[in-house]
Amino acid sequence: MSDRRLDRRLQTLYACIEALFQAGSEQELLQCICDTLVADGEFLLAWIGYGENDPGKAVRPVAQAGHGRDFLEGATFSWGGEERGQAPAGAAIRTGKACWVDDIRTDPSFSPWRTAALAHGYASCMAVPLIAGAVDLHGTLNLYSAERHAFEQSAIAHFAGLATCLTRAVVALRGHLADDLTSGVTALRASEERRRAQEALHQAQTELAHVTRVMTLGELAASIAHEINQPLAAIIADANACLHWLDAARPPLDVVRETLVAIANDSDRAAEVISRIRAFLSRSSVPHGPCDPAEVIRGVLPLVHPELRRHGIILEMSLAADLPTVMGDRIQLQQVLLNLLMNAAEAMREVLPERRRLVVRSTVEHRDDGPWAVVAVEDAGVGFGNNGDARLFDAFYTTKPGGLGMGLSISRSIIDAHAGRLWATTNPGHGATFHVALPGMR
Amino acid sequence: MIAGLRDFEGGRISQRELHALHRSAIQDTIERFEATGSPVITDGEQAKHSFATYAIYGLETLAPDGVPISFADGHIRILPRVTAGPFRYKTPADVYLDIARPYAHVPLKQAVSSASALSLLYPQDGIRDYSRQQYLQAVVVELEGEIRRCLHKGAHVVQMDFTEARLSIRLDPTRRLLESFVDLNNLVLERFSVDERQRIGVHTCPGADRHSTHSAEVDYAELLPSLFELRAMNFYVQLASEPDRERVLKLIRTHAKDGQRIFVGVIDPLDPRVETPEDVSERVLQAAQYIPVDRLGTTDDCGFAPFSDDTSRTRETAFAKIRARVAGTALASRRLGLD
Ligand SMILES: Nc1ncnc2c1ncn2[C@@H]1O[C@H](COP(=O)(O)OP(=O)(O)OP(=O)(O)O)[C@@H](O)[C@H]1O
Ligand SMILES: [Mg+2]
Repeated sequence: MSDRRLDRRLQTLYACIEALFQAGSEQELLQCICDTLVADGEFLLAWIGYGENDPGKAVRPVAQAGHGRDFLEGATFSWGGEERGQAPAGAAIRTGKACWVDDIRTDPSFSPWRTAALAHGYASCMAVPLIAGAVDLHGTLNLYSAERHAFEQSAIAHFAGLATCLTRAVVALRGHLADDLTSGVTALRASEERRRAQEALHQAQTELAHVTRVMTLGELAASIAHEINQPLAAIIADANACLHWLDAARPPLDVVRETLVAIANDSDRAAEVISRIRAFLSRSSVPHGPCDPAEVIRGVLPLVHPELRRHGIILEMSLAADLPTVMGDRIQLQQVLLNLLMNAAEAMREVLPERRRLVVRSTVEHRDDGPWAVVAVEDAGVGFGNNGDARLFDAFYTTKPGGLGMGLSISRSIIDAHAGRLWATTNPGHGATFHVALPGMR
Repeated sequence: MIAGLRDFEGGRISQRELHALHRSAIQDTIERFEATGSPVITDGEQAKHSFATYAIYGLETLAPDGVPISFADGHIRILPRVTAGPFRYKTPADVYLDIARPYAHVPLKQAVSSASALSLLYPQDGIRDYSRQQYLQAVVVELEGEIRRCLHKGAHVVQMDFTEARLSIRLDPTRRLLESFVDLNNLVLERFSVDERQRIGVHTCPGADRHSTHSAEVDYAELLPSLFELRAMNFYVQLASEPDRERVLKLIRTHAKDGQRIFVGVIDPLDPRVETPEDVSERVLQAAQYIPVDRLGTTDDCGFAPFSDDTSRTRETAFAKIRARVAGTALASRRLGLD
């Protein structure tokens, strides 16, 4: 072999070795090897075929380069024992050894493809199996030359060696593919499990929130019953009065009408309280929707008013006009507010009657990410001192004889689920203030 | 049909004409399938381009040069490769169900691809700004939607083609990949309730190949233990073409979980000889020795679905084979005293 040819083969080999290390995938590697092998013009066509396990035992080209794609499209190679299995492409798979045809014009084993091959200018060809040790990819690397007797012994050994390296590289890439897929699936499984755990947590939170709502309402039951009783008593008295007036010879219809209007108003008041209670007890966790914070505040008032009145607490409201709408579960937000109001009322039970003043204040805060609605519940009660501060929001932390210590912990988890913040501050004078901040709808 | 698909690819007919062709091919298949007396039928999977990739055929975010893969039918296909996110189905299976349902008078089985098959379309060197995990997540979501719609639209059962099990062992002899495949498919299956899963099945043709003496062949013994880890309730298992059916049946008995129903393949679509009802009945009776009859059913080894590059199998033979399955199954249930 001429020095120049040897030199060129070495150059090609270096380029192939580089591909073995560089290729990101099996397909890319096979294609790159074919491209490299035809690049210097020594061969007309290079292709790699894998043997199929179908009944016809076809050799399917999976990468090819050079001159004569249509030759491969038209030709069928097999790795079975019959006529179509005699070409090097199939025979090398079947036997596991390099196979070649020195002269396509005369070699009888190549007769099914002869005409097409000669038309493409091929004079000789060779196939080396993709085998490395015990690993058999069940495929071949095929080279076609314009010269007869192009594949002498040393060339065949050279390309058989390349095929072995190629086989090893393919196996490594397949191993990586397996690794990549496995780690992708593992990561997905982990994130799915996190998602499921979060859903379960959310579910548990919703149920807990419901249970504690029921309990809170239980505590309020006496005062609420009293609250409803009042309008009912008034309705009964008014109705009796009307009946009495209607018995008269000339009933005072104006007065009767006025009284009936009062009855209607009282009924509305009672009905309103009842419908608030029912909504409040509803179990369902509704999907978050737009809520007007002022509406949320007004919604809890019928539920706490009676309790506040019973303890002689004066409620003051200061609501900003331009509060942003927030996204949330209206009932759960009401629950938070109710908890804060109840705590405030409870903190003022022991203080002097004239100090029993509770302020609900709402303000807008403009932050980097837009406006936030902030609702503060400010009392003048016993306060919590600085040492209690850290544990206030812990579950089961309570300083009350009948307390459960759940109110603030539930409230905080609700506000967290709304991407908001709940915190407490000590007032300069007396008592404490609890703040709820919720991001406005974007 | 196959000619039609070529014409479409060659731009000789329009998408509309291709759809019309699908429609009439499906109608014809369903009529003939029903005529075999088979209690559950398929649309013949006419419209599928190739079973791993039908749902994504024609997507713009695909390149044609993905992994060269040897499928369970022995053919090597070069899978397409996803080139960009986000991943969405183009033609989910329920679209085919919509076409087939008006023609069908008996329950329809709808095939879908598996998440594990689709997982192979993600390129080995990754996609910028679209991680493998994101891709897999999208696949799971698409498949869940597809299966749900099929169930909702009245598919009698939805059958997930899990044919790359054998391949996975060849790629990774340590079996970690197979376990990942099972895990990934379970991520889809777990999104369904136990009741819904009664109508979801998995199809496998992982058996050893008779034609092949090839050392890389993978045996059922390596696959079945993992296979039954899939949280499906119905398994369609290739058996007819197995050289040693008894051995496979024993493996099934050992590894199948309580409540999993096994539909054994009693027809070998690759065998040019048409089985007789007697052959089928014998195969069923043999299976009944290993699988309780209330959990045993019959099926064809693999669908007769024509691949778009394969014209070899004749439809006549296919329907004759299905008739033999129906008659043979009936014969066997009489012999088992079930009628
Ligand atoms: N406005 C307040 N002023 C002073 N201390 C308060 C105030 N609000 C809460 N605390 C303190 O925080 C503790 C925890 O409050 P939290 O609402 O979580 O539980 P609780 O009120 O004790 O019981 P319940 O579960 O019935 O609400 C209270 O016991 C009290 O010590
Ligand atoms: Mg409390």
